[in-house]
Amino acid sequence: MPESLGPKVYSWLDERLGLSPILELALKKRVPDHKHSFWYYWGGITLFFFIVMCFTGVLLLLYYRPGDGAYESVQQINTQIKFGWLIRSIHSWSANLMVAAAFVHMFSTFFMKAYRAPREFLWWSGFGLLSLAMVFGFSGYLLPMDDLAYFATKVGLSIPAVMPVVGPWIADLVRGGPDITAYTISRFFALHVVILPALFIPLLLLHLGLVQQHGMSIPESEQQKPEAERKSIPFFPNFVFKDLAVWLVALNVLALLAVAFPWPLGPAADPLAPAPADIHPEWYFMSSFQILKAFGGWFPGVVGEFLGIAFFNAGVVLWALVPLFDPNTKSGQWGRRVTWFGFVVLAVLIVTTIWGYAVLPAVAH
Amino acid sequence: MNYPAWDVPYLGSGWMIGIVAIIHILISHFAVGGGIFLPLTEAKALREGRKDWMLRLKGYSKFFLVLTGVFGAMTGVGIWFAIGLASPNGTSALIHNFVFGWAIEWVFFLVELTLAMVYYYTWDRIPAKLHLTIGWIYAAVSWGTLVIINGILTFKLTPGPEWMASVGTGRESEYFFDAFFNAGYLPSLGLRTLACLSLAGIWSLYFFSRLDGESDGKTKASMVQWSSMFLIPSFLLMPVFFAWYVFTIPADHRALLELGISSASAGTFTHVTRMTILSVVSSATIALAVMFFAWFQPTELKRGHALSILFLALLATGSTESVREFLRKPFVVNGYMYSNGVRVNQIEGFNRDGYLTGSVWSPVSPDAAFHHKSVGERMFQGQCMACHTLDGYRPIRKLLAGRDTTSIGSVLKMLHDNAPESPYRKFMPPLVGTEEEIRALRDWLAVQVAPASH
Repeated sequence: MPESLGPKVYSWLDERLGLSPILELALKKRVPDHKHSFWYYWGGITLFFFIVMCFTGVLLLLYYRPGDGAYESVQQINTQIKFGWLIRSIHSWSANLMVAAAFVHMFSTFFMKAYRAPREFLWWSGFGLLSLAMVFGFSGYLLPMDDLAYFATKVGLSIPAVMPVVGPWIADLVRGGPDITAYTISRFFALHVVILPALFIPLLLLHLGLVQQHGMSIPESEQQKPEAERKSIPFFPNFVFKDLAVWLVALNVLALLAVAFPWPLGPAADPLAPAPADIHPEWYFMSSFQILKAFGGWFPGVVGEFLGIAFFNAGVVLWALVPLFDPNTKSGQWGRRVTWFGFVVLAVLIVTTIWGYAVLPAVAH
Repeated sequence: MNYPAWDVPYLGSGWMIGIVAIIHILISHFAVGGGIFLPLTEAKALREGRKDWMLRLKGYSKFFLVLTGVFGAMTGVGIWFAIGLASPNGTSALIHNFVFGWAIEWVFFLVELTLAMVYYYTWDRIPAKLHLTIGWIYAAVSWGTLVIINGILTFKLTPGPEWMASVGTGRESEYFFDAFFNAGYLPSLGLRTLACLSLAGIWSLYFFSRLDGESDGKTKASMVQWSSMFLIPSFLLMPVFFAWYVFTIPADHRALLELGISSASAGTFTHVTRMTILSVVSSATIALAVMFFAWFQPTELKRGHALSILFLALLATGSTESVREFLRKPFVVNGYMYSNGVRVNQIEGFNRDGYLTGSVWSPVSPDAAFHHKSVGERMFQGQCMACHTLDGYRPIRKLLAGRDTTSIGSVLKMLHDNAPESPYRKFMPPLVGTEEEIRALRDWLAVQVAPASH
């Protein structure tokens, strides 16, 4: 490998950057190869969409103006800047695809029991990354300041406001006042482009470092096989090349969605106008939105909202603490129970998301 | 019953053609490229004495025969059904102008299908050299089908000047060769031949991905790498032929590409730019995906990987063919017939005597099968429905949302006048018909857009 790079250039770089140990590690490292290997690529796919999102986000920064002129600047990006609509469409689609890929990655690691010792911190760092990705989505949703974004954010921020004691304070802090105004956009913008990346990137590096530390986990079906029968492929170049090919496929899926369904921009937000009848959050918040709505219907008043929040948060906490309930490397009774818990969580997410969309009134935009 | 106007709710008739055509192109181009792949591979196997290859090639030729002979032929007939229903005037024009071309094409098809069967059934039954010769004849005949259809397809965007001058004289078919060997003919033939070779490689990757990488490792590695090499000509030459092709596109139509650079509106006019972006991305990345999935680690190529590559081929084919179709806007045959089947030389007559009076497909007659439909609805079916649906693809209700009767009337007037400065002129046909007919269309559209207020 070094020879093919040009020995002189390589040794010059190696002397200064210490490349040899990294290369040796990459050449020695192996990745398990079995019938569930497909799921190993989803972490990489999530990372790919994150990189695309960062790149397009920086381009959007060149023209986006937070504050009073936010809507006009997005309109300008969409209709006057060359390929501005494309960059915005890629940014929005990659954000959604990143969250979708992260969900697939999370559930695949869950069902492969990849959260078990010694990978608990991998699970928790991944959980943190997905949570931050969803906050990225929520903060980015408002930035164009069109009517749907405005009213969806208004509804979204009314949810923490019902929490006792700290709720109204949190909502006011995020909004920058009692209403959604230009100050809210500035705060969401700062959150979106400074605070969240500052939290996300170190956590991502920790997550990737832990993957290197512990290697890919092997599903139980593979663990039961004698070591000699387990197959593996070299990390470099075999797995890396496959990963690159998968990224190319992901790029094409992104290109298809971004050009065939350009991300829309609704009319400018008008706080005095009635909220659109079909107001709803992004798809990845639809489940929690619908659960809160359902509890609100079953238990009218603040009680319903509080119970809804309590039910949802209890589920989230249980989900995060799963490595503590099921720490053993072999599945006993607890292992099976946790698997069933995973199926229930997945079913609740899917059913409530579909339910949420099914009950939305049809409105032509 | 929606005869003679083919109403496909939500999707639109154009998409029906598109879906059938994209599947057909993926297979028919393989029929041509695979025709070259088979004898080339067989010759190499014979030369190098590779019995393992010969064994796999026999299985491959069965796969080839079933895929191209059954699915290729079925979807080919499907295209004829679809275009006959969606664009009867355009189909009629192509048939009448290229009678001799179609006759040659169908002879080629017959020989092609017969030879594919002979090739498969004579494995190990006739001398190897003769078998290989059959393969080469198949390759020539199969490429011949492309040589013919390419002339007819490129004619639609760049009909020859002499043929255009003969329009309306009744002697159009005398200018067959001018129409056939038009400006876009050669670059398009080059592009399609390259696409055929690429698709041969991609379908072959799918077939050979089924070989076991452990027990059959050497054979799999060599056949997968050999198949991958069929994408190299495209990777190197496609940009050259593409640039040549773009150069032959008339300037008015090339300008359509620029309409979507700074905007992606909900209407139709940016579609061609958007699909061009997809075409470039998918065409540029497909060879890289093959390199990473197949070339570098041939024994590890699995069916899922091969299907992913096939998916990229579907994207590349679909988007490129879509661009080719949309570059002709607002025509179906450039300068001769609009996308809704109205001929340029009919406009005056339709405006004077009425569209419905003169339309073959929607006559005003007491015996008309659809007499119960209003004039406005028949105007919509005849002139709008080739490209628009009510709800769904290019939805009229969404595009006209918020407009009242007067405002819709203004849009229709702009379409009818078709003035040089009209923004619609570049991609929409002029609206034809008498004042009464256009008023009827306006009123019908107004009811569709805001049914509650009427």
